[in-house]
Amino acid sequence: MASNLQTDGTNVPTFKIILVGDGGVGKTTFVKRHLSGEFEKKYIATVGVEVHPLKFHTNRGPIVFNVWDTAGQEKFGGLRDGYYIQGQGAIIMFDVTSRITYKNVANWHRDLVRVCENIPIVLVGNKVDVKDRKVKAKQITFHRKKNLQYYDISAKSNYNFEKPFLWLARKLVGDPNLVFVEAPALAPAEVHIDDSYKAQMEAELQQAQNVALPDEDDDM
Amino acid sequence: MQINKQTTKKSGRLQVTTCAQNDHETTFPFWFLLQVRSAAFLMSTASTKQENEEPQEEQKNEQEDEKTTLEEDYSVPFKPLVTLDEVQVTTGEEDEEVLYKNRAKLFRFDKQGSQWKERGTGDIKILQHKETKKIRLLMRREKTLKICLNHYVNPSIQLEENVGSDRSWVWNAIDYADEVADECVLAIRFPNSEQAKKFKEAYDNARTSMQKLAKASKDSPQKEEDKEQVSKE
Repeated sequence: MASNLQTDGTNVPTFKIILVGDGGVGKTTFVKRHLSGEFEKKYIATVGVEVHPLKFHTNRGPIVFNVWDTAGQEKFGGLRDGYYIQGQGAIIMFDVTSRITYKNVANWHRDLVRVCENIPIVLVGNKVDVKDRKVKAKQITFHRKKNLQYYDISAKSNYNFEKPFLWLARKLVGDPNLVFVEAPALAPAEVHIDDSYKAQMEAELQQAQNVALPDEDDDM
Repeated sequence: MQINKQTTKKSGRLQVTTCAQNDHETTFPFWFLLQVRSAAFLMSTASTKQENEEPQEEQKNEQEDEKTTLEEDYSVPFKPLVTLDEVQVTTGEEDEEVLYKNRAKLFRFDKQGSQWKERGTGDIKILQHKETKKIRLLMRREKTLKICLNHYVNPSIQLEENVGSDRSWVWNAIDYADEVADECVLAIRFPNSEQAKKFKEAYDNARTSMQKLAKASKDSPQKEEDKEQVSKE
């Protein structure tokens, strides 16, 4: 397995992480949250697979997770097994407001370990911010039987949203005390704004000013 | 909370069963897989039922313990793929003084979709370099500590109001959070309007300082002569 380890060309250790689970449980939203910070409410089914590099800074240096965000919907599935090959870690996601997505965890797990025999796997129950939770904490037992780590998460509220990756990092690097640390904040460039450019920017600003920010009732 | 209790003994045994099952599955025809699938489903339903029938007294502490139990590490020991040495952490803020800091939520305007998109939640800081005296806005997402805002305070850029919010500010920026120039419109929202007001005060002070700084370097033209443009208003 160690020979499969890649670097991103700058000696940063890179790991292939597979993200699976039923359609609509929030896989793509979860990845986007990590990539750009945004929270996408619209559901656009992922077709095939999308690979996103996520860089994390740790007390043992930077690491990159190439996250294979796979289609949850059968009809958009594509290669499936092909995506799993040489996976070094995995996240199986379900939606705590939908029992069927939890039941299907067993299928996702079976398909995954058929290709990736002994990799660290995290089970995550997403959308725990929703009041009407259908899959209660004590009903979640699959991880005990199959030796997985489990986390309640919410891509919306950010509850535990770093935990799946932190746990995977700890396993893959072999340090149970590994922590995420500050990404180095380089000095930004100094920018020069001339008058014509400023006028253009101000037009954009006015447009933005008149669009309300989302979730104004959010108490942070 | 981090729980690292290992249940190795129990887990080890389960792991063997899992492997054996998997090895077989690959060679079996489709109808058999279906059967395995439904068998697995029945098994999981059965054990869920068992869980539900736990004696009542145990349920008392359950809410407290629930999270702990839920997040307990049931995984088997895993041989790490790499060994990495501990590193000295550099935040890049070592030579700066914190002029202002408060928790907030940052948004970036999506021009095409004409909507605001979240960029991150965490502490927004106004930092002044101890030697150059330059002031920047810096913000990291909480927990992952990644940068979502990083640019110098520009004396010609003012904070403006956003429709329908008395605790937010909107401004133009050329931001370097991702280390490349991103020309964008940003908004920052604070827990309440009082905190938003304090931020504006701190920002306006920073603007004044940067204005003076620009003027000073304009007066000594061998240093950064092209800064002239910035102070033109």
